[in-house]
Amino acid sequence: MVYGGVELKKDLVTFKGISEGVYLDVVGNDLEEIKKDLDSKLNNSSKFFKGAKFLGIRSNELSEDEIIELKLILKYKYEFNISNEGLPEYISSYYKEKNSEQFIYSLDNINEGMTKFVYGTLRSGQVVEYNGNIVVVGDVNPGAFLKAKGNIIVLGSLKGVAHAGIGGNYDSIVAAFSLLPMQLGIGSIIVRPPEGDTQYKYPEVAKVVNGEVLIEPYLPNK
Amino acid sequence: MDKEKLGTAIVVTSGKGGVGKTTTSANLGTGLAILGYSVVILDADIGLRNLDVVMGLENRIVYDVVDVVEKNCRLKQALIKDKRHEKLYLLPAAQTKDKTAVKPEQMVELISELKKEFDYIIIDCPAGIEQGFQYSIAGADEAIIVTTPEISAVRDADRVIGILEAKEIHNPRIVINRIRPDMVKRGDMMNIDDIIDILAIDLLGIVPDDESIVVSTNKGEPVVMDNKSKAGQAYRNIAKRVTGEEVELLNLEADDEGKLSKIIKLLFGK
Repeated sequence: MVYGGVELKKDLVTFKGISEGVYLDVVGNDLEEIKKDLDSKLNNSSKFFKGAKFLGIRSNELSEDEIIELKLILKYKYEFNISNEGLPEYISSYYKEKNSEQFIYSLDNINEGMTKFVYGTLRSGQVVEYNGNIVVVGDVNPGAFLKAKGNIIVLGSLKGVAHAGIGGNYDSIVAAFSLLPMQLGIGSIIVRPPEGDTQYKYPEVAKVVNGEVLIEPYLPNK
Repeated sequence: MDKEKLGTAIVVTSGKGGVGKTTTSANLGTGLAILGYSVVILDADIGLRNLDVVMGLENRIVYDVVDVVEKNCRLKQALIKDKRHEKLYLLPAAQTKDKTAVKPEQMVELISELKKEFDYIIIDCPAGIEQGFQYSIAGADEAIIVTTPEISAVRDADRVIGILEAKEIHNPRIVINRIRPDMVKRGDMMNIDDIIDILAIDLLGIVPDDESIVVSTNKGEPVVMDNKSKAGQAYRNIAKRVTGEEVELLNLEADDEGKLSKIIKLLFGK
């Protein structure tokens, strides 16, 4: 991914913390490089994960055997406490888009995964909950609730309550043609719009930046 | 009252109280009777009945809807014939009972009985979404939502539409009651487009805020019979639309227009 002409080197392994525990996010399929990267990470900070519940490894390129090998390394070399629960569904069902060059910056963190489609108007008192993404083809009226472990996209006006990334997925976004929610949540952050009537005539995207929910216009060429 | 085709049961509901469900029921029922249909208006607001008052039939009640479902009387004994219209009947609510007195299954049975006798069954639903609402919509084929141009009423209407959809009563139509054209013009009141935009359902009619409604309600004569009243005209249009006729929306702003220009409009179309 290129930001402003500078190519960033991506870490091959990243430990990520969610409310259920810790998991390892692995990029690429070069097992030797991945192991090296893992060693260099854990030699500095292996005590840091002591006692933490390790849920599993997320990768879309490693084989089953390679993932088991990594788990064994973590268990015996670094004394990880590996949980039997495995990865929560909303994480294991996602995997990174390979050709992310196509993606625009503001939608950088959209992952694929299970998606629920809702057609028609969602009305006051109606609740849609899903362990993945929610796409509403219609309006979400005041008093209606959307709760997703992934992203929320509304092809219409969002005037109800939308909570994306339930369970601590702060990478998730909320996007709508007309983003006027009563309340908007991402991860465990819940915000409400400022007082006063601010209605914009263009689609907007809400995401978390530095621990705050940022709402910006959706600009495809950005 | 013999006929082959079954009638249509229409529930008039709103969620919020005081928006004009009973007024709409009485006027729609009377309006349909004026058009020559056989109509029964069923007051489902058990314990808080007042449709009989609005219709001016208060002192004729002997049996009520609870007597009918409990089989204390025959259906025909409880039906009250209107003073003015041959084909219009009222089935009054009980006043000494409450909403637990009727179950949805009983209502379904009652309405299927009524459908054999009448062209239209108008069910005046109580406010709220509890038992009273549940049994009122149980036997209905169609629904009319009444709202006023206020956020609270529109919000409740939205909720009710959602519940109706879940109960398989699709495509309810909306009556927007108590519109004040002057306030809408000033931007102090929600306009019709705003409301339709939120609720996303078909508009059945608009009724202006009209003093003649209060007068007619107190007299027990539905305003739909008053040819001079704008609200009466609105309800006559609504009744026609319910029968499937296409009628243009009432122009609320042409209030101060002279009679002559109206006649010219009538004669020449524009």
